Amino acid sequence: MTRQEIEQEVKSIFLREFEIENPQMDKDLRETYGFDSIDAIELLLEIERFLGSELTQEEKKQAMDIRTVNQICDYIEKMAKVRGLAKEA
Amino acid sequence: MTKMIYRLTDFFITILLWFYFLFGYLIFLFVLFLPACIFSENSAAAFQRVNHVFLKSFFGLTKFLVPRTKFKIDDKVPAVKSSIIVCNHISYLDPILLIALSPLQRTIVKKTFFHVPVFGWFLRQYGFIPSAPAEMMGEAMLKNLESIRRHLAAGGNLFIFPEGTRSRDGRLAPFNRGVFSIARYCNAPLALVLIKGTDRLFKPGTFLFNTHASNEITMELIASIEPGFSGGSLPAAALSDYARRIYLAKLAGRDGDDLAETQDEASG
Repeated sequence: MTRQEIEQEVKSIFLREFEIENPQMDKDLRETYGFDSIDAIELLLEIERFLGSELTQEEKKQAMDIRTVNQICDYIEKMAKVRGLAKEA
Repeated sequence: MTKMIYRLTDFFITILLWFYFLFGYLIFLFVLFLPACIFSENSAAAFQRVNHVFLKSFFGLTKFLVPRTKFKIDDKVPAVKSSIIVCNHISYLDPILLIALSPLQRTIVKKTFFHVPVFGWFLRQYGFIPSAPAEMMGEAMLKNLESIRRHLAAGGNLFIFPEGTRSRDGRLAPFNRGVFSIARYCNAPLALVLIKGTDRLFKPGTFLFNTHASNEITMELIASIEPGFSGGSLPAAALSDYARRIYLAKLAGRDGDDLAETQDEASG
């Protein structure tokens, strides 16, 4: 999966799960969209679904530092690389 | 005169029940809780089992002292295992009744209760989770979710009142979607339980048990939602709406076709 595909999927998750259309990539999710812990759980589940595999505890802990959509994309890209799913654009 | 006799009866029975509830803990503490704590490998599970016995006895005593209140418990409720029990909330008796029905139960409790001397200590020993932002953020949230997952895998239940607090007028308040998100995270089935009548025995905002009125306390499993429901992709908010519609249909006395319609709407 390429960075572009990841961004597209993240935007689609935001629309489907949180009813947020075209989220701003570098805005703080909590401050801008009122993102809360329940949203964080839902997001983790969607990332697992997208990657097609469960995240380890350590990987989930890393996700807890995410604040922006760009950081979500970086995180998925990193997880995809670990799983051999990443492709250059 | 009759009113006064009723008030006095209510008062004495309330004192007896509160006496059992408050001082029973101290007796159980030395006889059962402490050995459970010392000798058991999983002390939280041991504490939950002892608490179950303690509260089962509380309801045994209630049935004996308040014969005008009948209990009609659906056999399917105590049989629920490894599930997240969702329940409407009308009285402080609801969590006590749920614990009395099944030995391995955890729940999420208002943080203020954890500050009550002795009682708060017990809540921690049972493995109950304080409802506080700090407990549902970052690593603490992951730790709690994983411990819930292990508890469910071991056959225990997590019961939650999605309305967040007791209903004062019997109406169903909006649901918090958190419990449905937890169920999705843990890949656990949801058991929807409907309680009626506990608010007549012990009304919110009162001190006395209403022991003289004829009453029936019922507890019914009104639906089960498996993790794969609707392809397993239904977001927590949609699951929450679906569950609430089932409660509303049931409370309105609708069954069968209406519930099937609700399911079709959620799936569609």
